[in-house]
Amino acid sequence: MFLNSVILILQEILEAALLISVLLVFSKRYGIKPHWLFVAISLGAIGALFFAINMADISEWFDYVGQEVVNALIQFSILFFLGIFTAFLPKNSFLPGESPDTLNKESTRHHQKNGWSIVWILLIVSLALTREGSEVFIYIGGVIGHPSHIQPTLTGAGIGVGIGLSAGVLIYYGLLGLPAKWIAPGGLVLLALVAGNMASQATLLLTQADWLPYSTILWDSSELLPENSILGHLLYALVGYEATPSLFQGISYICGMLLIFLCNLLRTTLLTQHKNPKTFKINTHS
Amino acid sequence: MKNKLWKLKTAALSLVLWGSQVVAATPVVEIKIQDHLFFPAVIEIPANTKVKLLINNLDPTAEEFESYELNREKVISGNRKAVVFVGPLPPGEYPFFGEFYPKTAQGKVVVVNP
Repeated sequence: MFLNSVILILQEILEAALLISVLLVFSKRYGIKPHWLFVAISLGAIGALFFAINMADISEWFDYVGQEVVNALIQFSILFFLGIFTAFLPKNSFLPGESPDTLNKESTRHHQKNGWSIVWILLIVSLALTREGSEVFIYIGGVIGHPSHIQPTLTGAGIGVGIGLSAGVLIYYGLLGLPAKWIAPGGLVLLALVAGNMASQATLLLTQADWLPYSTILWDSSELLPENSILGHLLYALVGYEATPSLFQGISYICGMLLIFLCNLLRTTLLTQHKNPKTFKINTHS
Repeated sequence: MKNKLWKLKTAALSLVLWGSQVVAATPVVEIKIQDHLFFPAVIEIPANTKVKLLINNLDPTAEEFESYELNREKVISGNRKAVVFVGPLPPGEYPFFGEFYPKTAQGKVVVVNP
C-alpha cells in the first residue's frame, strides 16, 4: 500500500510540478507576479474535489466513456490556453536580478498585458490540477474505507508529494540557473513537451473511448525501457513516455509541440511588427 | 430541392444503420471486480478485433483499471460500471491490474487467433 501510494501520488504531482515550475520561471522572466500559484492551487483543489465527487456519474455519460471524453476535453482546453499564453506573453523580459520596478515608461501597458497572462496561467494550472488532483482524491477516498490502509497510504502520499515538490523546485532552479539567453528557449521547450504530452494523452483517451479509431503502434520499447520501471514512471510523468505509442499519439504529440513553437513565432512576429515604424500606430496622447 | 432532401435523408439513414452495425459487431467481454480481485482474471479475445470490456466494480471502493501493455487507464467508481475499448491486437498476453489495489487485482487479456 505504502509504495503504491508513493508511486501513484508522485506521478500526479510530477506532471503538475513540471508545468507549474516552468510557468513560475516564465512569470519571473516576464515580470508576472507569482501570487497566481496560491489562487490556482485553491481553484484546482476545489475543481479536483468536485470532479472526484461527480466522477461516478460523469463516467456514465456518453455510454460509459464520459470520463475519457471529459478528461480529453480538459487536456485540449489546457493546450488551447497554453497556446494563447505563449502567443501573448508580455513584451519585456527580465534577466535574473531585475524586476518590473526597474521598468521605464512602458510599465502601465506592461502590467495590463500581465493581467491577461495571469488569467491564462490560472486557467492552465487550475484545469491541470483539477484533472490530476481528482484521481488523488478518489484514491485517498477509497482507502478511508479500510482503516488499516489509511496510515501507510497517507505516509506514502506525503512522501510522494515531498519528492514531487522537490523535483519541481529542482526544475525551477535548474532552468533559472541556465545562461540568461537560454532560460526562455529552455522554458519554451519544456512547455512544448508538456503540450505534446497533453495532446498525446487526450488522443489516447479518445481512442480508449472509441471516439477515435485504432492506429498502428509506432514502436515497442517495452523491453528496453519498461513503463513500470522507475525511469519509465518518471519519463511518463514528465514527458509522457510510452513504450508502445500509437501513430495518432505520435502525430498529436508533434502537433502539441508545434502549437507552442508556432504561437511563440506568432508572438515574435507581432512584437517585430510593433517595433516597425511603418506599421506602428503612433499614439499622440503619450 | 425535394430530391436533394430525400438523398440527404437516405444518406443519414445509411450512416445510422452502418453505425449501428459497427456497434453491434464489437464483441463485449464482462469483467467483475470483487474484493479487489478481477473475475475472470484471464479473458480470451480474438486477434485483430476491437473488443469492448464492460467492467463492473462490485466493491464499494474505487479501482483503477490499468495496463501498460494495452495502454489503458481508467478509474472505476465503487458499485459502478465502466467501459474500456481494447484492440485490435496481435496475438499475445496483455496483463492488466488494479492500480489502487495492485497486490490482489491482477489479470490478463489473452489474444488468440480465431
